[in-house]
Amino acid sequence: MQAQDWDKMDDEAFRLEVRGFFRKEYPEHLRFPAYHLRWADTKDWYKKLVDKGWAAPGWPKEWGGMGLSPGKLLIFIEEQERHGVARTPDMGIILLGPLLIKFATEEQKKQFLPPSLRGEYIWCQGYSEPNAGSDLASLKVEAVLDRDEYVINGSKTWTSYAMDATHMFILARTDKKAKKQEGISFLLVDMKTPGITVRPIRNLLGVEVFAEVFLDNVRTPAKWLVGKPNQGWTMAKALLGFERISIGSPKLAQTGLKRLDAIVRSQGLTQDPAFMDRYTQLRLDVADLASTYSRFADLLKRGETLGPDVSILKIVATETFQRLTELTLEAAGDAGAIGGKAAFRKDSVDILSPFYNARPATIYGGSNEIQRNILAKNVLDLPS
Amino acid sequence: MSQQEDPNRMLRDAVTAFAARDTSITRVRQLRDTAPGFDKAVWKTIAELGWTGIMIPEEYGGMGLGLGEMAAVLEEFAKTLSPEPLNPSSVLAAGALLHGNNEALKKKLLPGIASGEILPALAWQETEGGIDPLAIATRAEGGALNGGKRFVFPADADGYLVSARSGNGPAVYWVDKGSAGLTVEYEPRADGTRCGRISLKNVKVIDAQLAASGKTAGAALQRAVDEATIMAGAELLGVMSRALEITLEYMRIRVQFGKPIGSFQALQHRAVDLFIQKELSFSVLRDALLQTAADASGLGLWASRVKSRCSEAGMRIGRESIQIHGGIGFADECDIGLYLKRAMVLSAWLGNGAVHRRRYAALAPAEAAA
Ligand SMILES: Cc1cc2nc3c(=O)[nH]c(=O)nc-3n(C[C@H](O)[C@H](O)[C@H](O)COP(=O)(O)OP(=O)(O)OC[C@H]3O[C@@H](n4cnc5c(N)ncnc54)[C@H](O)[C@@H]3O)c2cc1C
Repeated sequence: MQAQDWDKMDDEAFRLEVRGFFRKEYPEHLRFPAYHLRWADTKDWYKKLVDKGWAAPGWPKEWGGMGLSPGKLLIFIEEQERHGVARTPDMGIILLGPLLIKFATEEQKKQFLPPSLRGEYIWCQGYSEPNAGSDLASLKVEAVLDRDEYVINGSKTWTSYAMDATHMFILARTDKKAKKQEGISFLLVDMKTPGITVRPIRNLLGVEVFAEVFLDNVRTPAKWLVGKPNQGWTMAKALLGFERISIGSPKLAQTGLKRLDAIVRSQGLTQDPAFMDRYTQLRLDVADLASTYSRFADLLKRGETLGPDVSILKIVATETFQRLTELTLEAAGDAGAIGGKAAFRKDSVDILSPFYNARPATIYGGSNEIQRNILAKNVLDLPS
Repeated sequence: MSQQEDPNRMLRDAVTAFAARDTSITRVRQLRDTAPGFDKAVWKTIAELGWTGIMIPEEYGGMGLGLGEMAAVLEEFAKTLSPEPLNPSSVLAAGALLHGNNEALKKKLLPGIASGEILPALAWQETEGGIDPLAIATRAEGGALNGGKRFVFPADADGYLVSARSGNGPAVYWVDKGSAGLTVEYEPRADGTRCGRISLKNVKVIDAQLAASGKTAGAALQRAVDEATIMAGAELLGVMSRALEITLEYMRIRVQFGKPIGSFQALQHRAVDLFIQKELSFSVLRDALLQTAADASGLGLWASRVKSRCSEAGMRIGRESIQIHGGIGFADECDIGLYLKRAMVLSAWLGNGAVHRRRYAALAPAEAAA
């Protein structure tokens, strides 16, 4: 594997290189999947990424990543979306890796980073609990130190890919007397440890992508605690920045517009001025989302850091996409409640999956209500 | 907003200085419902600052800059609610002359327009309004103009660039105020300024007055209108930014139920949604200025994108600001109403949101699935 200095390459050349690779190597039948693919579907593709040295675009090169700057990483993601490349269960790469690189000991890095990169360790994120969602700091899963092990009890929920995962990173309470945020630690757990039960949860698409995870006297080595005890909250919060921009990409909506247009034409709706006004409004919303995205992306590409106002991007992107799927349902008329692919003249379109897929984006990653709270306080400077 | 990327800092600072020195809300209130509705002395100051000539090439006595610079000035200028017709005269009217094909007339008028001595207005819309500059009923025949124009602003101009249909297709004539056969009636606008309803009865014109003719006239009108439309977006952005600032400040200080009303989540989320509309307006304007500077062929499409977003956002922020102010918001003494009314005028001028949505749909039919 030759280590290339991608950041020396100009943006356009890099974009074409990435695009060329996806075109050549990404399996055609996995392009633009209707729902989140499981590890069984994507592992061959992941292997190709590993062989190419592209499995962890955002990690530094010393740990086998591509060492991309935020700007180049954005281009990489844009090309993924453009080609319809599915996400693999990539929590270990996207969320855990950067956190370990920043806060873990050398020994922990050596132990966890290489197998995660190779796809031998598949991670899931155990933050949310039945009674701790938006108010995550009120989490109750507890980890008690017993000599050189932590004993963990409680349950996590909505854990994506828990049934595919070999490992889980969790936030657990290690000091019950401290203030809410200050008694929480960041721990790694092997999913094969006795006492772990995974109960998959069917979602609105009828598939099982997330799960509830029960932890009953689960023992994990004390040296698998990352950072310092009771510092877990600060560490987890420190790494939320980049998520906001990638979730704000206009690509999904732009692809959705093409789908919608096929329906609009086939249903003869271009003759309906009331519908066309709303349709045009939606198209303008998508266009202005793209302008907003490029405004923040330009900042990143110039090496600047994003301010808290980037939250607007998450709100605009997710809500625009929801409106799009709603208008698509409406345009489909009677077919707006029929599952599978429906034929609209020569196009065959899945109406329901995008509608369902649009729902959780306003819930996870800090719900849109929470984003509005943050904006009101941190950007608009409104009182509490 | 990341202003470190703003190359027009100095121009903006100049407007801020102007705002502190040469205008005030009191002045704006005093000029409401007066004739001509703005202050000629302030217009002179504006001209001395160079803003009337920003888009006029240096060879005609202007600064030879572009839409980006003009937008920065207009956005800041609009925050002051000054009624002086900077965009209507210096972008819309001056543009129709500049993009035309009468070199002698340009040499004669543009230096005076840049220096503020000549105040021009474009008389292009007719009784129904609308945004198609080629929908012209006014005729130029036998050396005379006959017809009527509406929504002309400034109404009290030194001369009017009048669009007409001639044997040669569209044409634009320069007509001095006071020309025989030209009469101006006034219609009040929501913000206390007034626009003109012009009637032309056998107004004699000669070729020297023909600012643009044939295909060039159509293109010159369209380009001037599109440029002014994007600039109206910049003005709306200025108005809505200031209105939102005022409203947020009121939310911090107005106390009910023992707390500032800005602590109520229902109002916080509403304010965030207004902020988002303002940011979308900024995004589309920024993109429009970047893209049209690189390639002017999409000017009309960008104009419609900018105007539809900024008109809707400006109106919404204006309306909801009244609601958030409560009773005082409905009182004339409260400044927030002045911002709503300016947003109403700028929104309707050159086509409101719905009009530009229709134009966008016509200019850019959706692309079907591949
Ligand atoms: C598809 C999907 C995948 C997920 N994957 C994972 C995962 O892998 N790992 C993980 O840890 N978690 C995961 N989550 C969980 C996700 O992070 C939570 O759903 C989210 O934090 C919201 O918590 P909650 O579901 O308990 O809703 P609640 O917090 O109960 O919220 C319910 C409603 O109340 C609103 N609300 C709550 N507080 C406020 C407030 N202060 N002001 C105004 N409104 C408020 C919310 O916006 C929401 O509309 C996933 C969720 C989904 C839907």
